[in-house]
Amino acid sequence: MSRAIPLSYTLRSVFQRRTRTALTVAVMALVVLAVTVMLSLVSGIRRTLVETGEADNLIVMRKGATNDGSSMVPIEAYRAVRYFPGIAADPVTGEPLVSPEMVVQPFFYRQDGGRENVLVRGVRPVAFAVHRKVRLVEGRAPRSSSGEAVVGRAVAARYPGLRIGAEMRFGRRAWKVVGILEAGGSSFESEVWVDVNDLWSDANRALYSGLRLTVAADADAAALARRVAADARWALEAKPEIEYYREQADSANFLFSLTVALGVIMGIGASFGAMNTMFAAVRSRVAEIGTLRALGFSRRSILASFLAEALVIALAGCVVGVVLAVGATLAINAALLGVAINLMTFTTATVQLRVSAGNALFALCFSVLLGFAGGFLPASRAARLSPAEALRRRA
Amino acid sequence: MIHLSNVSRHFRRGPDVIKALDRVTLEIQAGRFVALMGPSGSGKSTLLNILSGIDRADEGEVEVAGQRLTGLSEDELAVWRARHVGLVFQFYNLMPVLSACENVELPLLLTDLSRPERRRRAELALEVVGLMRERFEHLPGALSGGEQQRVAIARAIVTDPDLIVADEPTGDLDARSADQVLALLSELNREFEKTIVLVTHDPRALRWVQAIYHLDKGSLLEGVEATRATQAVEQTLGVPPRSAAR
Amino acid sequence: MGYLTLVRRNLRRNRLRTALTAASITLSIFLVCAVLSLPSGFTAIHDRLAAGTRFLVHNKAGITYLMPYGSLQQIRAVPGGTAATSFSRFGGVYDEPKNLFPNFSVDAETVGDIWPDFQISPQAIADFRRYRDAALVGYQTMRTFHWKVGDRVTLRSTVWPVQLDFRIVGELPEPHGNPMWFLFSRTYLEEAVRAKGLSAEQAGMIWVRVADPADVPPVMRRIDDLFRNSDAETASETEKSFFESFMSSLSGLTNVILAVGFLVVVAVVFITANTCSMAIRERAAEIAMLKALGFRRSVILGLLLAETLALAIGGGAVGAFGAYGVLKLLAALGATGARPGLGPLSMFLVTPWHVVEGIGLSLLVGVVAGVFPSWGAARKPVAEALREVF
Repeated sequence: MSRAIPLSYTLRSVFQRRTRTALTVAVMALVVLAVTVMLSLVSGIRRTLVETGEADNLIVMRKGATNDGSSMVPIEAYRAVRYFPGIAADPVTGEPLVSPEMVVQPFFYRQDGGRENVLVRGVRPVAFAVHRKVRLVEGRAPRSSSGEAVVGRAVAARYPGLRIGAEMRFGRRAWKVVGILEAGGSSFESEVWVDVNDLWSDANRALYSGLRLTVAADADAAALARRVAADARWALEAKPEIEYYREQADSANFLFSLTVALGVIMGIGASFGAMNTMFAAVRSRVAEIGTLRALGFSRRSILASFLAEALVIALAGCVVGVVLAVGATLAINAALLGVAINLMTFTTATVQLRVSAGNALFALCFSVLLGFAGGFLPASRAARLSPAEALRRRA
Repeated sequence: MIHLSNVSRHFRRGPDVIKALDRVTLEIQAGRFVALMGPSGSGKSTLLNILSGIDRADEGEVEVAGQRLTGLSEDELAVWRARHVGLVFQFYNLMPVLSACENVELPLLLTDLSRPERRRRAELALEVVGLMRERFEHLPGALSGGEQQRVAIARAIVTDPDLIVADEPTGDLDARSADQVLALLSELNREFEKTIVLVTHDPRALRWVQAIYHLDKGSLLEGVEATRATQAVEQTLGVPPRSAAR
Repeated sequence: MGYLTLVRRNLRRNRLRTALTAASITLSIFLVCAVLSLPSGFTAIHDRLAAGTRFLVHNKAGITYLMPYGSLQQIRAVPGGTAATSFSRFGGVYDEPKNLFPNFSVDAETVGDIWPDFQISPQAIADFRRYRDAALVGYQTMRTFHWKVGDRVTLRSTVWPVQLDFRIVGELPEPHGNPMWFLFSRTYLEEAVRAKGLSAEQAGMIWVRVADPADVPPVMRRIDDLFRNSDAETASETEKSFFESFMSSLSGLTNVILAVGFLVVVAVVFITANTCSMAIRERAAEIAMLKALGFRRSVILGLLLAETLALAIGGGAVGAFGAYGVLKLLAALGATGARPGLGPLSMFLVTPWHVVEGIGLSLLVGVVAGVFPSWGAARKPVAEALREVF
């Protein structure tokens, strides 16, 4: 029967050496901060892309194309697909919900002089019915052959001049901003939408990059996809939008591996630092350990007490780190609306950072692991001290 | 050698000001071997620190070995100490990572001497204090208390200072080692004409020193009080002193 | 015995602590070197590939805006240019969609003139002109797919509704050739596209070569002037500036990565400062005694700082050289094509300069971490220091 050393004793020990504890907590916090911000970027990319898709939408592209920026779908193919069975109809007009779209990646010139590709999507009015997440928060949709453009919220945030009524230049002409679109933080917010006829004449070619269509509620999406792929003339394929955007999010996998590698290496470094602190704590309390053992506390309770001390430090670091990470991501979002990253289409998208509950849980597990890694060896050294030896080594 | 006039030193402890030394005037001739005695908190260590240039007086004049210490900066005092004072502490304060000989060599790093010359002088100093040669390369942890204090004394004399100050040099030693250390200090006084100031509680020191100064509550005892204090020490010793006090 | 003896012995006093601290410095400097080498790796690759007498022309509106094929003839007529070829993306995949790599149609007869610096063998250049289905392939791509000269391969385009069979007639050889490219003749593509009732009479980009590097700016200007106010205005730029604007679009991500690198450095400063202050606290008595012996404050500061600096530079040098070695190894493994799974990990490019930077950074870490505790210990008046310990 062994008595446990009260936690309050452990806590008091933690506060005894303030500088040492504070520095160690700071190290833990920095590591947690770095890993959490990186993770929030990874999950931000995934969320931005995955949320772009609609569950009952299919995307039709050239077979093998990895994104609609590199695919070509002839107008004839659109006309044929439009009347395939199983496609939902617009409740108002009765027209099939098939949105033919052309994307181009014209240069946009930033205020800092840098140049980036922005995804410009040429659409017909049906696009707003097919992409149900897309809402016009201001203004209205572009009229046909009018040179009008609707600007995604993230693009508008990055180019401060882009307000309704403003004129913008891209491609080979000037465009008039008539609306601002929002789409639940998804990648559509990093796009500019114009009328497809305008974009055809601007890009000097009349074809589509891809089609988006909504499957009727009672129809079989897989059968419809097979039907699209079956037509050998056009070499097309159809897949669920969700799946398409999940594949796009694969670009985040490298970043995730990088984050894990970074976390492991930084974590080892930080646990070495924590180990130093804990060894010093054990050394400076040899006499105390001797006394506690002489009083009858078991080896196990000494071990637990020192481990608890390491864990308290790690958890404090975790809390500080996550709070800092939340602050940092909020600041980045407020200042820049997120981090501008390059998608597979080589266009720039703004990703909002948000420290999710999952990220925080990851940080918590990570810190507990660091606490154990840093605390175990010193704690077991403390536990191994015999009471007589500990009291003797006091001098 | 040592001239102190009206030296005061105050310490602040919370809201209180404690007078560690209160207008002490003291004159010690060159070549003397004297002891400062008194109960804890009487100011004897503070006095020792001031006359060895470790601490500075708040008021009064201090002149040691021909140098007026009042007004010297911390670094100027350090340079002066390195040249003129040898220090011996109760807990020896040897560098645990350096061997006996290297510890003695340490203060010579502050001189222009060459490396072999430093080494030679360190060995010489260790021979003077009577440390056995095979112990020269031992780390302090492998030496007895008496041996460590010999090494510390060797470190104090290796720069050939005018003044040696020792703060409770026998405080942590057994009786035999304590006698040997006192005898060694006395020998350094006689043969090398070092001025030695000793702070001690150890009544045995009476057998070796030429004079005792008693401190109490920051003041030097004088006249009848001083004589009475010396007699009290002699009684605890129970043996007539070898040399007369004052 | 000298001051260095003291520093060395003090470092060895608590070996475990020294080792743990040095190891965490090593890991951090390793990380920072790796992180720093990622963006500069891209730049270095392109600095190496960019030839001073070559530039590219694309539609002013953007890379995905095409130019009429006829523009090529007009550009060839511009005085100062010695050769020009169209360069259009085919978007071909080999076997399965994930095997995506850069493949372009070009004007076959010009390849040797546009890219003499690739040092393609004369036989390959001749064969490339002779066979309409010929392909020249970068050495890296050859290894990735285990292709060899003479192989016949089929690529399915994601741009055009065609799939084409090619014969590989040569490689863009290591080390000067582009490692990834797959080049083939545009007439071969045109035939196949026309059979589908479409037309590929357009150019994505046009490469131009001039005789002398000094001719690059005037010829670029002449070309852009020629197409000004036409249907397809052009923008000419050097390979380097093209790549730089691509890199600047990655700045969001690189900034995040650099910020993380900064956090790593701050963390290791804290770890080192902690070690330094623990060492100083444990040695308070010794430091007080050194002062009493007459060692001046600057000497004490120097001794303590030297210890932290030795620790930092020692750990940092291992980290920096380690990063150099490990990343070189990864790059070498990636170059053999034996481990295609390495992916971007083989794209780090460390130079000896990164090692210097890493060691410089560890020096900074040592100074920042050591200076506060050391200065505090050195500055304390000797009497106060003695009172605290005795």
